[in-house]
Amino acid sequence: MRFKQLQWSWHKIKKYRFAYIFILPTVLGMLTLHLIPIVQGIYMSFLNLSQFTLDKYLGAPFVWFKNYYDVLINTRSPIRIGLFDAARNTVIYTVVVTFGTLLLGMLVALMVNREFRGKGFIRTLFLFPWVVPTYVTGLLWGFMWQRGVGIINIILVDILHLLPSKPFWLIGPNTIWAIIIPTIWRYWPFSMLLLLAGMQSIPEELYEAADIDGASGWRKFWEITFPLLRPVWSILILFGLIFNVYSFNIVIMMFGFGAGFPGEWGDLLMTNIFRNSFMQWNFGAGAAASVILMLTMILIVNVWFYFYKKAEEETR
Amino acid sequence: MNLSYYARKRIKDYLIHIVMLIILLFTLFPIVWMVYTSLKENTDILVGKIPLSHAHNNVAEIAPDDSSIWILTSDGGINKHNRKTLKESDYKSAQTMTSSFHTDDKYIWISSANHGLLRYSKSDLNKKSEFDLKLPSFDKAKVGSTTIYGTKDKIYFSMKYKGFQQVVEFNKKLGKVVRTFNIKNEFSPSQVQSLFVAGDTLMVGLDTGLLSVDIKSGKIKKGFSIMEYLPLGVEKIKLLSNGKLIIAGNNGAYLFDMSSGNVVKNIYPKAVYGLSVLNGNVYIGTNHGFIAYSAKEPMMASPLGAENLFHQIKRDGTVNPGAKLVPSEVVAIAGLGKNLYVGSTFGRISQYNLNSKKVVNSAVARQGHIVVSWVNYVDMWKNVDFGLYLGNSFFICGISMFFAMIFATMAAYALSRFKFPGSKLFSMAILATQMVPGIMFLIPIYSNFVKFSEITGIPIKGTYYGLIFVYSTFFIPFSVWILRGFFAAIPIELEEAAHIDGCSPFQVFWYVVLPLAIPGIIATGIYIFLTAWDELILAWVLTSADTMTIPVGIRNFVGNYQNRFDLIMAAATVATAPVMLLFFLLQKHIVKGLTAGAVKG
Repeated sequence: MRFKQLQWSWHKIKKYRFAYIFILPTVLGMLTLHLIPIVQGIYMSFLNLSQFTLDKYLGAPFVWFKNYYDVLINTRSPIRIGLFDAARNTVIYTVVVTFGTLLLGMLVALMVNREFRGKGFIRTLFLFPWVVPTYVTGLLWGFMWQRGVGIINIILVDILHLLPSKPFWLIGPNTIWAIIIPTIWRYWPFSMLLLLAGMQSIPEELYEAADIDGASGWRKFWEITFPLLRPVWSILILFGLIFNVYSFNIVIMMFGFGAGFPGEWGDLLMTNIFRNSFMQWNFGAGAAASVILMLTMILIVNVWFYFYKKAEEETR
Repeated sequence: MNLSYYARKRIKDYLIHIVMLIILLFTLFPIVWMVYTSLKENTDILVGKIPLSHAHNNVAEIAPDDSSIWILTSDGGINKHNRKTLKESDYKSAQTMTSSFHTDDKYIWISSANHGLLRYSKSDLNKKSEFDLKLPSFDKAKVGSTTIYGTKDKIYFSMKYKGFQQVVEFNKKLGKVVRTFNIKNEFSPSQVQSLFVAGDTLMVGLDTGLLSVDIKSGKIKKGFSIMEYLPLGVEKIKLLSNGKLIIAGNNGAYLFDMSSGNVVKNIYPKAVYGLSVLNGNVYIGTNHGFIAYSAKEPMMASPLGAENLFHQIKRDGTVNPGAKLVPSEVVAIAGLGKNLYVGSTFGRISQYNLNSKKVVNSAVARQGHIVVSWVNYVDMWKNVDFGLYLGNSFFICGISMFFAMIFATMAAYALSRFKFPGSKLFSMAILATQMVPGIMFLIPIYSNFVKFSEITGIPIKGTYYGLIFVYSTFFIPFSVWILRGFFAAIPIELEEAAHIDGCSPFQVFWYVVLPLAIPGIIATGIYIFLTAWDELILAWVLTSADTMTIPVGIRNFVGNYQNRFDLIMAAATVATAPVMLLFFLLQKHIVKGLTAGAVKG
């Protein structure tokens, strides 16, 4: 019996030899650069890994859950300070950016999805921000948000006189908007592109039938466009959530040109962990925070999948 | 409203179009602003000035002749005005920066740091000659001003920047540089600020002293240190009829005896902006007018001296006696007959009648040409090794894209066509890699590389292949995820038919599936290239000075130049331009490919 089973799986391997050869390089790469480092990273989160013990690396003292205690409970540990601010900011940032990109992308996709001259060219122009590298986005908007010399304050105060005095954008509670708006600016064209493609694949007959029934444009959107685009926007939400939680370049380049502290309202989990790991040499705690974040993300993605599947079954 | 259905529809459509264009404007504005500020001067950026600067149109030289008066401004502006009415009759801009002029009967000669030596014909300003100076030390990219002194058939000039330790002699008839005087001396390093030829002697005013050079032999005769009197240098030299020199600068004007090498007397104690010797008088332009001295010793302020002369002239040049005005520096004074022509900063010129002692007429030279600071790019390029970074980025991103595409295509095809044991686990693993914070990989990968190098002796950190390996592997999972959709969209019947015809699985893949998937592969490849171009953290940790990519280079650069927004924006533009261009050229493939994969997958 056991022999037969073995033979069977050998047979299968032979049958799928082609497929296994094809995925082999990817699997090898993922093992060396994904799986092993993740396991090491998780192990690191149990070590007291600082600048004194970095040489020993995985031989550093094993401290069990001390890092987790420092990250979550011990209010006096340096990494715990500011971490909850960063978590709050990350939640606001991720949700606003994800749905902001989707909303703006949908709006412009609906506008571009008409017949007019130069449609392809205008769509290309809309896509330009998406090609600007994120570190440039951070630098550029960091410059534009400057209080005295930034163009945003010049337009708001000096030209339009909308505000009585020039506000600080990179200090204080405004900071959260100073990081959200550039991120939306950078990423919304991509949502627009995918939604536009989705709209173009919706059969025209549906709209014609709705026209005959006398449906309004609003109604047509909610009854036809929006539901039929569900595969696109649900993927956009999923990847938006993941990407934005792990967003790093824009914020790090906007403050102190890659070495500054974004402040109470600008710090994200990624910048916080990066600072704690590489500027305060607290690698163990950084790893612990990363692991917690990763587990949270896995949970969120699974919840998303659960609802996605459920909704899919309902529509069938 | 009683509008027809179609009319309402058209109005609605029109409004939507306008809203769309407004959004487009807002979308593109930051990119436009980035490129625009990279062309501005940093001082303009720091004061929040939006338009580009005009070059300063200070009057550099006034040259009257029989019928007209030539107002030559330091931005290379040649203003020809009527001698009597001071009305403009012709204008030409040489588009040079901080230039100096020499005029003779036929020509106007301009020396400037960015264009070298130019010649304009007085009779027809469109006749322009540019001379190839063939000087190895002349660098057009350097910012500096120049000084020039012309005689009947020769021109002597020098550039006012460190490293140009020469005075160039140019023959007007031959139209080329005849020789250069090396002025390296006991005061070096120094820069030339003024020139004057007296007989066989060339006087060279430096920022550190004064030199006399023998023109025939080309050797330095003597150097005079006048730091005690003019610590900022000799900016102006003029010869008096009694053989004595007047030297002037930011700390006053002095009478200088060449034979003894001593300063004889202080004539004027404050900053001197203009200096002329006319009709036996010495005219000194001050910061709010001019003052005249008799050229005979002992020098006394002549009754002509009118320090408050320019209080009578408005900023726009109109005469307004009795009005108090912003002082402006008198930089050029020239005379003809009973008239004195006085030019000042902001391009103003006034005709002063020596009999009535009043300003008779005045005019303003044209505003300087708009300055586009291309030099920001040159400066930035000099300060950082951008060529190396660009090359590194192209090489690493290109090769990584190549490998990632090959392996991702294979894996995606296997995943979309074969339900092999472990395929579900594999596709889950691919999605899971996207859920790990990149920072978690950083230390393990770095430490593993260091350990690996210690054990095997093969360096990985700071090498091209190290980063290429990391990039290719990191971008494979997402590429597989996108490409799977493309393969799923290719009808399986084609493959079955090929299989029945006797193709091996690889042949099916190579000859049937791959050609159909090419658009998707190209699109994914470009996407990977853009993402790799964007990658900062891994490159930060894994590159060394030789293999640094653009993002790391920029990060280091902006850290050192925090207030040089002009340079930072120039760097940002240089980092964006290649990918922008790539995108613009290939956008059809990207749009088609990405959308097809994402929508169907």
